[in-house]
Amino acid sequence: MVRFPAGMRRAAVAAVAALTLTGLAACGDSSDPAVPGAGGGTTDDLLASAPVAENLPAGSAMAKIKERGELLVGGSLDAPLLSQQNPVSGEVEGLDADFGKLLAKYIIGEPKVKIVNSASETREALISNGTVDVVLQTYSITPERAEKVAFAGPYYSSGLVIATKADETGIKSPADLNGKTVIAGANTPAIPAIEKAAPDAKIVTFGSDPECVQALKQGRGVAYVQDQAVLLATAKQDTSIKIQGEPFTTDPYGIGLKHGDEQFKTFVNDWLREIQKSGLWAKVWKNSIGTVVEGEAPEPPAIGSVPGS
Amino acid sequence: MSSSPTSRLLFDDPGPRARRRIRITTAGTLLAGAALVALALRQFAENGQLAAERWEPFGTWPMWRYLLDGLWSTAQAAAVAIALAMAGGIVLALGRTSSSRWLRWPAAAYVEVVRTIPALLLVYVVLFALPRYGVNMPLFWKLVVPLAVSNAAAFAEIFRAGIRSVERGQLEAGLAVGLTRGRAMRLIVLPQAARRVLPSLVSQSAGLLKDTSLGYVVSYAELLYSGKVLANYNHLLIQTYLIVALIYLVVNATLSKIARTLEARQRARPVRAVRDAAPGAPAVKTS
Amino acid sequence: MNVITDHLSEFGDGLLLTVELTLLALAGALAAGIVVAAMRVSPVRVLRAAGMAYVETLQNIPLLVWLVIAVFGLPEIGVMAGLFTSAVVVIALYQGAYMAEAIRSGINAVPAGQGEAARALGLTFVQSLRLVVLPQALRTAIQPLGTIAIMTLMNTAMAAAVGVVELTAAANRVNLAEAQPIYIFVTAGLLYMALSAVFGLVTGALERKLAILR
Repeated sequence: MVRFPAGMRRAAVAAVAALTLTGLAACGDSSDPAVPGAGGGTTDDLLASAPVAENLPAGSAMAKIKERGELLVGGSLDAPLLSQQNPVSGEVEGLDADFGKLLAKYIIGEPKVKIVNSASETREALISNGTVDVVLQTYSITPERAEKVAFAGPYYSSGLVIATKADETGIKSPADLNGKTVIAGANTPAIPAIEKAAPDAKIVTFGSDPECVQALKQGRGVAYVQDQAVLLATAKQDTSIKIQGEPFTTDPYGIGLKHGDEQFKTFVNDWLREIQKSGLWAKVWKNSIGTVVEGEAPEPPAIGSVPGS
Repeated sequence: MSSSPTSRLLFDDPGPRARRRIRITTAGTLLAGAALVALALRQFAENGQLAAERWEPFGTWPMWRYLLDGLWSTAQAAAVAIALAMAGGIVLALGRTSSSRWLRWPAAAYVEVVRTIPALLLVYVVLFALPRYGVNMPLFWKLVVPLAVSNAAAFAEIFRAGIRSVERGQLEAGLAVGLTRGRAMRLIVLPQAARRVLPSLVSQSAGLLKDTSLGYVVSYAELLYSGKVLANYNHLLIQTYLIVALIYLVVNATLSKIARTLEARQRARPVRAVRDAAPGAPAVKTS
Repeated sequence: MNVITDHLSEFGDGLLLTVELTLLALAGALAAGIVVAAMRVSPVRVLRAAGMAYVETLQNIPLLVWLVIAVFGLPEIGVMAGLFTSAVVVIALYQGAYMAEAIRSGINAVPAGQGEAARALGLTFVQSLRLVVLPQALRTAIQPLGTIAIMTLMNTAMAAAVGVVELTAAANRVNLAEAQPIYIFVTAGLLYMALSAVFGLVTGALERKLAILR
């Protein structure tokens, strides 16, 4: 079908041989050192020490998941540090992905997760019609959403930040974006946030994070608004990009569950408290966002602390 | 291709002076082409896009395996969408050529409406409108259904052209030997019609295969979306998309070669091949 | 219906941009199509091969892929163009490949005697193409060119994926804000149908006036 040049074929053979020698596809063995969050392979260590729930109530959502042997998670494949598929291993890596695996282990006893890639507008429907058990996808808890889904958590608190080219000096806060062209990911929460914070900004959208970064570097906009975690990773490995100021929104991420299932919500909240206390939460952070942010893990947000949770 | 019928039309066999002019034009074209490519490559290299480490990852099997998985998903989506769109197209074409206006009008309305609505708009309807009314399909169907809906209209026009090209006497002969209209259509007219429009069917199908790149919007992991995920992972946006383009080119060029072979074989046969509305271009729309 | 009247300016801007995209791309596509068709029937083998390579490459890679590559790749070879300009150029070149094929069929339909007569008068290749063959070829090709015009209109929607807020993107944005998908998308669909109808009428009128029946 596709013919490889001789060099490529040799490299492919070598790569296959290397993979065979190291046994299972060692996911840390990426050929590209610039990849954030791919290093370490400590997810396995995390999972080894992860708790497993004792006796699930019969007939509960958890018991059904255990019977199925697989947790269905609504998530992304293309959110670096949060939920990004590693093409080498096929595994999905990052903060959200790790929490999904830990929750699966807690319920089933094994970290068996199937990620259902969801376009971000349809998550409420995915949960309510049972396509997924939970949504773990930078899903900000809001009172409006809480009318349609139940939120466990928040499990992580983030916010939107502004990135510019490193030599930009005129943009320090969202108000400075008025009258300028601002880049945002298509269908991301950044669009309404910019419209609110800088009504006179012109928004131009692109399909993915690297496209937005490329557009910023090529001058298609003076600023790029995106989740703090994602932009930290970008700014860390690309010195021509700089983050300006502090997050201007607070986005408490929750785990979306079926509306009205209080039993499941309490169960997930108890699990979150348990892994926060045992230090596992901090390890998950270290394994993902901690690979680009210096210092210790922040204090996790208090469960049920925001309206809608 | 050296002596197509066109060459008879616009020039004779070149004499000595014409041969010289042709040689000069050839040299000029080659030089200009080479200069343009060299300039582009130099700029590309100056921006660091040709650096070895930006291309090395594509010498490894896992990257290709990932993209070829995407290609496989493209093939699956395209195959199912083509099957549905062709089935729909046949039904619509039969409707439009039926003797009952209750079948003719709805079929005509469907074709005329759908062929003037962009596939992307239909995709947005399936993505953002239907879930509000409780219709939330898996990603695969969110890509396949709008493509099938939109291409059914195109296939209908192709089949209709085919049916109209079969001489009326064929149908009448069928009716005369006692077949019902439906059986005469199915046993006599449709097989001939389908054979005559085969090249158009293949080129419309190739167009539909290209349309599956809308998976990029749907986030169904076909080839282009796989490229997007891969670029997110390796941060090699331009290189990844260039490789994706190369894969599309190889696959589609192969398909269109098959279409041309079919067309040539058909021309060699006594049956007159029907070319639809636009000779050389697909009947209604492809992207 | 309030959602529509409240967002008339968004719909209006989107519609205008779609019309601009379509007309500019069509003009470019016609120019590219004529040049490439001329290359494909020229006596110079290299030009014929280049024309063929152009058509094959452009037609065999999805428009969406071309758009993404042009928007992000062209600045890397020193061509920095705005999103709208990039979209116009890419759609023009892409549809140009289809135009070229339609025009070439039109050229093939011109009787050989026309070309022979032109040469007998001493016209060169370019002269006989420009003065004798092309005018007839274009008139034969009006209907397929009209089909390509509608296809171009449909394809301008793809520009939404690279950040051009034309009609489809405008509808999507209004829907993100208002969450009234039925009204909004039906309105967009009706606007596309109206535009297509205009193209259809223009093609029909041109055909009645100019077409040569063979």
